[in-house]
Amino acid sequence: MIEVEHLSKAYGSTTAIRDITFGAQPGEILGFLGPNGAGKTTTMRILAGYLPASEGTARVAGYDVHTDSMAVRQRIGYLPESPPLYPDMTVQGFLNFVAKIKGVPADLRQKRADIAMDHCGLLDKRKVLIRKLSKGYRQRVGIAQAIIHDPPVIILDEPTVGLDPRQINEVRQLIKGLAGSHTIILSTHILPEVSMTCDRVTIINRGQVVATDTPDNLTTRLSGEAVYELEVRGDVTTAQRLLRELTPVRQVTQLGPEHLPEHHHRLRVSAEADRALGGLISSALVNAGLELHELRRQQATLEDVFLNLTTTEPTTGATASPETPDPELPTVEPTPEQSET
Amino acid sequence: MTLLLKNILAIYQRELQSYFASPLPYIIAAVFWLLGGFFLVAILLGPQGILAQAAMADQAVQMGMPSSPPFDVAYEFNKAYVGLLGSLSMFVLPMLSMGLYADERKQGTLELLATSPVTNWAVALGKLLAVVSFYIAMVLPLMVCQSIALGAAEPPTGSGVFLLSHLGLVLMAASVLALGMFISSLTESTVLAAIMTFALILLLWLVDAVAQGLPGVVGSAIAHLSLLKHFTDFTEGIFDTGGLVLFLSFIGLGLYLTAQSIETLRFQRS
Repeated sequence: MIEVEHLSKAYGSTTAIRDITFGAQPGEILGFLGPNGAGKTTTMRILAGYLPASEGTARVAGYDVHTDSMAVRQRIGYLPESPPLYPDMTVQGFLNFVAKIKGVPADLRQKRADIAMDHCGLLDKRKVLIRKLSKGYRQRVGIAQAIIHDPPVIILDEPTVGLDPRQINEVRQLIKGLAGSHTIILSTHILPEVSMTCDRVTIINRGQVVATDTPDNLTTRLSGEAVYELEVRGDVTTAQRLLRELTPVRQVTQLGPEHLPEHHHRLRVSAEADRALGGLISSALVNAGLELHELRRQQATLEDVFLNLTTTEPTTGATASPETPDPELPTVEPTPEQSET
Repeated sequence: MTLLLKNILAIYQRELQSYFASPLPYIIAAVFWLLGGFFLVAILLGPQGILAQAAMADQAVQMGMPSSPPFDVAYEFNKAYVGLLGSLSMFVLPMLSMGLYADERKQGTLELLATSPVTNWAVALGKLLAVVSFYIAMVLPLMVCQSIALGAAEPPTGSGVFLLSHLGLVLMAASVLALGMFISSLTESTVLAAIMTFALILLLWLVDAVAQGLPGVVGSAIAHLSLLKHFTDFTEGIFDTGGLVLFLSFIGLGLYLTAQSIETLRFQRS
């Protein structure tokens, strides 16, 4: 439904996006995730036909957004970064106007406007001037105008900005409800949004796609490396030697002795993902007569994936494993939250 | 084709609606009517007014100066008054055209229009029709006042020159509004758009002055391109197809430039 191939866009000498390729299947919700300034809005604008690409092609519903602009415009609903609203119109008047210019037949306009207002929780605001609406309601009107003509493709640029948590939840439900019959691409810099609403995620950073996959796959892909943190009492050299002898282990580092009782040592073990590793570690240490006080496995969340993919500075401190076989997918900075064994 | 008309109509309606929602058009209309009413009285009854001039002309004839041409009060009044409305409009038109696109750009609604299945042409035409309608609505009450004065003329005059001169007024206003709309599409600032449109009007005045000042072929060539020259012709009751074509060309040029400007704008916007 959406096909983007080798898309680039330069403003003068600055490159906003470079060689972006991704796609969305019919009925799918594609999340377009990236930090601010990564090129999300630029990509959305190109897809909506508002900006031309410097290079590459983008097709929506089989039509090139540049050469077949009108055909594309008829098939998209687009919520720009800032909702395009006429402050001096009422919600109903505005939606009616949008329905007209989107080519909704006269006899369907009222019905479509009602449906859109109902979806976006605007029914009690229909007679209110947009000027008098709060930011959250304006955002909803923006979403309503994007779905009023029931377009097959919906492009939403940061749809939940400015909404309170309850509204955010409603909008996410709304977006989910639209999936299936509509193809939706939404940009965001909020991670939970992606893991909650999207079928697939394209992560973009500094104008380039760094990963495309399902939210689940992205997390597992990056937890291909398992990291354990443990606290032992006894001879640390022996402990390190024992751990290195275990097959899946790649690296063992000793962490700072802060807040530790005497003879206690904290170690970080990075290894290939292996479910049985926890057992191996504990039995190896205990059999050698060392006391194991703590053993934790750390797992990557989507947040880590995102940070790792979008942060170029080397992670500081006691981070594990300098071995980064795939430069596009650097190591995961683990967060201490999972399973205590 | 019907879809195109529907789109133009939708834009037209929305634009007209917006005039009722904002105080600015009311203020502009109020000032225009105040000044228009004042000058109606001043031109007709003032110390240098048409009636005073007519009295002087009568006196001259009575004193036996047959060389002076006969003085047609109704004609002279119409010519002077519509000419004045033209000058007055020059100050008002920039204020009418300034927000046409600048506001859309500022509100971000241009992004909505540019991504809707509406051509730039339809948007520009709808907007121009709306603002010209508003201008006509501003001129109409003054026309009524003027026609009351003309109705008192003795002998009664035909309405031909009266209507023709106002047609000229509206055509000139539409030409200036079309160019002003183009200027408005170049910026996000309404103030800047108004100032630049006014500068354009000064340029039109300059062209007219140059045309009158330069002798020979060059002068008359420039005069053919002068909006004001052709407007003056209309107020004098001269219907010149050349003038009509010129006005329509300016309107077409304004529409074309606006449509092109939006096309390139959205293609260069950073």
